[in-house]
Amino acid sequence: MLAGLTFASPWVLAALAGLPVLWFLLRITPPAPRTETFPAIRLLLGLNASESTPARTPWWLLLLRMTAAALVILGLARPVLDAGAQLAGSGPLLLVIDDGWASASGWAKRMTAASSVLDRAERAGRPVALLATAPDEAAAAPATTVPMPAAELRIRLAALKPKPWAPDRAAAAVALNAFSSRGAGVVYIADGLTDGTGWNDFAKAFAGFAAVRVVADEQPARLLLPPTSEAEALVAHVAAVPQPLANVATVLAQGGDGRTLARVEAKFAEGASQADAAITLPPELRNRLTRLVLDGPAGAGNVVLLDERWRRRPVGLIGGDPAADTPLSGSLFYLRRALEPFVEVREGSIEGLLGRELSVLVLADRSIAEGPERDAIARWVDKGGLLLRFAGTQTAEHPDGLLPVKLLATDRQLGGAMSWNQPGQLAAFAATSPFAGLSVPPEVHVQRQVLAEPGPALAAATWAGLVDGTPLVTQAVRGAGRIVLFHITANADWSDLPLSGLFVDMLRRTVDLSVGVAGGEEEAGRRLAPVEMLDGFGQPSRPPSAAQAVEAGQIGTLAAGPRHPAGFYGPEAGRRALNLATKLPLPEAAPAIPGAEIEPLAGAAPERVLAPWLLALALALLAGDLIISLGLRGLWRGAIALLLLCGPVQAQTAQQAALATRLGYVLTGDAQIDAISKAGLGGLSDFVNLRTAAALAEPAAVRPGQDDLSFFPLLYWPVAPDAGAPDSAMTVALNDYMVHGGIILIDTRNGGSGEGYAQGAEAALERIAHGLSVPALAPLTAGHVLARAFYLLQEFPGRFAGDTVWVQRDQDRSNDSVSPVIIGGHDWAAAWAIDAQGRNPYATVPGGARQRTLAYRFGVNLVMYALTGNYKGDQVHVPAILERLGQ
Amino acid sequence: MKVTSHRAEALGAALPPLLVAADRVAATVWQGVHGRRRVGQGDSFWQFRPFVAGDEATRIDWRQSARSDRHFVRETEWEAAQTVALWRDAGPAMAWRSREAPMEKLERAELLLMALAALLLRGGERVRLIAPPGTLAARPVAGRGGLERLLESLPETGASGLPDYAGLPRHARVVLISDMLAPLEQIQAMVRGFSGAGLRGHVLQVLDPAEAALPYEGRVRFVFDRTGAQALIPRVEGIRGAYAARLREQQEGLRDICTAAGWGFGVHHTDHAPEAALLGLFMALAPEGAR
Repeated sequence: MLAGLTFASPWVLAALAGLPVLWFLLRITPPAPRTETFPAIRLLLGLNASESTPARTPWWLLLLRMTAAALVILGLARPVLDAGAQLAGSGPLLLVIDDGWASASGWAKRMTAASSVLDRAERAGRPVALLATAPDEAAAAPATTVPMPAAELRIRLAALKPKPWAPDRAAAAVALNAFSSRGAGVVYIADGLTDGTGWNDFAKAFAGFAAVRVVADEQPARLLLPPTSEAEALVAHVAAVPQPLANVATVLAQGGDGRTLARVEAKFAEGASQADAAITLPPELRNRLTRLVLDGPAGAGNVVLLDERWRRRPVGLIGGDPAADTPLSGSLFYLRRALEPFVEVREGSIEGLLGRELSVLVLADRSIAEGPERDAIARWVDKGGLLLRFAGTQTAEHPDGLLPVKLLATDRQLGGAMSWNQPGQLAAFAATSPFAGLSVPPEVHVQRQVLAEPGPALAAATWAGLVDGTPLVTQAVRGAGRIVLFHITANADWSDLPLSGLFVDMLRRTVDLSVGVAGGEEEAGRRLAPVEMLDGFGQPSRPPSAAQAVEAGQIGTLAAGPRHPAGFYGPEAGRRALNLATKLPLPEAAPAIPGAEIEPLAGAAPERVLAPWLLALALALLAGDLIISLGLRGLWRGAIALLLLCGPVQAQTAQQAALATRLGYVLTGDAQIDAISKAGLGGLSDFVNLRTAAALAEPAAVRPGQDDLSFFPLLYWPVAPDAGAPDSAMTVALNDYMVHGGIILIDTRNGGSGEGYAQGAEAALERIAHGLSVPALAPLTAGHVLARAFYLLQEFPGRFAGDTVWVQRDQDRSNDSVSPVIIGGHDWAAAWAIDAQGRNPYATVPGGARQRTLAYRFGVNLVMYALTGNYKGDQVHVPAILERLGQ
Repeated sequence: MKVTSHRAEALGAALPPLLVAADRVAATVWQGVHGRRRVGQGDSFWQFRPFVAGDEATRIDWRQSARSDRHFVRETEWEAAQTVALWRDAGPAMAWRSREAPMEKLERAELLLMALAALLLRGGERVRLIAPPGTLAARPVAGRGGLERLLESLPETGASGLPDYAGLPRHARVVLISDMLAPLEQIQAMVRGFSGAGLRGHVLQVLDPAEAALPYEGRVRFVFDRTGAQALIPRVEGIRGAYAARLREQQEGLRDICTAAGWGFGVHHTDHAPEAALLGLFMALAPEGAR
């Protein structure tokens, strides 16, 4: 394994000789001392002479450092594993790559091999020229690039893709001969096929090079040939270079949506160059096929596109009857108008029509008498033809043997002038009917029809019926073919159906059921534009720039190339496929090039660069050495402590809030309102500290949803007029806060005497309270605990007075009967606020020291209420208790 | 009232942990000493002696005398309260602890000092601190409340240098608590100064366990910030014996100095219980008859 190890910069390895010196230096250099503070240092001074042996670096640490140093040296020498053999020759290197259709299989391996060649050339400092043997997308013949540094060529190599056409050996031979540096080495990454004529010239062109190395695929690509259409089956043909062992190729038949409809195996006998596989499918499925794919590695040679030639359905109309041709009344008029847009319609006599390939024969109210004509039709149906018949007076009078059902002698008339009946309407199509899914227009009425003889098989033979259950379309399988009967005429005499679009759809579905006909004639002169091409990997792609329109007549004879890549041409209705394999020579193994050194493609393992791994390992070792050194010097603890210090900074805010009882106010985002809240709660806290046993710390601003609310007994929430709806996190946090015993004092700051101060606060209150679980509210009265929690209060003014304050209406035992929310508009914070000089900056309205005092007292009651709950609830019942005591 | 005042109160209440600790240590020792010293606690009889001619009439304890026909004179053993002068080294070398030690030497010295003061104050002695040279001598304190005043007048840490006897009353007892790592000549000069002034006392050397045992290993550079001295020891384990010998030499020298001056000498390691050292100090201060 180490045989493939080479060094890109071997001279660096000389530094390894310095390792013993490093060993010696590391050994005699003592480790750095760790520093200790020591007060009794006076006793230590002069003591070190007693032992003079220097402390040694531990041997394992020494080994660690030596290993790291050796790894660094090895890494800098840039070792490469599996680098492959050295390139022969000197001077510029020519890299020849087959990029035709056969190179698509194993393309990644080819690129790896090419990249490895470039790696080696780069290490040797040789410029490289590139020759791709297939014409490029712009149809330019293969040409050699100028020799350039490998790094630049790498970009070109990355842009190289397999082409969906064959290599141009002759042009490549010309390019090879024209390559000026004849003494150079050449590496040829071959697809292993001769690819037609010109191989001999190509092989000879290598003779002039100093050293030739061929990287070849042991198993050249197979080629899927266009299938041949037979009566029951489509036969796929696979061609390959003969192999000494029997093997199997799998062909997938795919529909337009890419689904595989059939999977068949073509078995190659020993040494066989071609294998066949018959794809047997019901005609309906067979007509849906759009491509055959050879299972295996993707490639343009593995795909054959199928167009209408493999499923043509010529429809024959019996012509020659002038009455039937009459516009708007003749039956042929309707049929022709309905069929022509999507199928090939032929007209003629029965003999003439049946003399050619025909899918569908339409008989419009025509009775076939016994005789050779009838026999010919019967034989044709037995072989797979679809006979489509329309009823009429003639058919009704002379039913013949070529009918799907037995007809009653008389036809039925519905809704005539003398009839009570209404014209019959079509029933919806059954799911099993081929017409399933077509919508039935209500305006279609059937006035007259022929009737089938009722029988047990009639229902199964019916594809369409009227609402009353009588069959309208019946069918019967005969031999490999089918007979379909419309129980009405093909013109508008008996029904409205031929006038409606449904008629077209029904005919189309019926024709789709017929067996296609392979091959066919093309009208000359029609040019088909390229629509959807195959790329080198057999995947659909946009037409390349050089793709040109194709004459319809030539499409079967054209060889795929840059001008005419394999793919679909022409409009949607009549797409024609140009297949790569049509004009391609059968795969033939390329003979060995004389004097060339052969290297298998599969053996070219990608080379591995070891330098980053070695350097990373050295870094890891050095990091370990750092840790160990820190440990030896006692600095280890310090480093850890430094790391740990970064952690606990986060939790400080919550800790501060939790250290003391404090009031909180909700930040509104309005700086002035927030300042009032802060000053107000500060003033209230001081007042509470002064007058009561409660000890409140400075108030804190909170952002519900971001800060932990659980430390605040009371939240003051002034409503800014422009406040938006709180976000969901905030709503959840506030609801949670209220459920768990918190109290929110919501202040609209516009109540009573302050009416008009904060315009729009009512609307804002609605917005912010929308998501909150505010309980049913009632006015706060003097009988409420809040009015008695500390002071006995009759009114609850703030800066303003006279408005109603709202509290929870019902007593909620689970929450100590404490109202989770108190809503008012008295702008309490402004009344409580104290500025830096200890004054009240906001005048009360209407005013007076009494109002201020009452505001503070309400605040104290509020705090007490928040801190003690319904502790003073009994006060409310004092009169009752006294009365009871008196008794 | 501002919110901040509450905080100040709370802080003030939690302030003297040293006093609490000292009190706790002192109480432990007091219990132990007490039982041994005074048999028949609460019996007041031995505290009084009958009045004899020559006693001053003012010394008669009338309350006691009124219970019987005889006159009694209050005469307790501790009648004349002794002044005990305490000093703890507050130098930078004291404000240090090794990884193994539970507290700094200075903390332990202060704890011992305060606990001793608490004990002495319980015993009715007067306690004063030896002020650093150049500063005003602190007034002696007495009584239970004196402990807090003592704590307040404790000199700032960082002041270094050995104390002198200036301003001390004669026949006071002196207790010096320090690591006593200064050169022996300086200490001898100091002790001589004290004893020359008629002062007797006790020297307690407080050492960190690391200073006692030198538990380091390998290549270590020893530094001490203030002096700037450095000692680079290639192999500490190699000089441990020599260091122990030097330390022993220092301690022997200290003991000799103290014995020569009639002083007591004790060694205390900060990883040992403070009660033992306190008991030793207290016993050393107790009158000979009570031991």
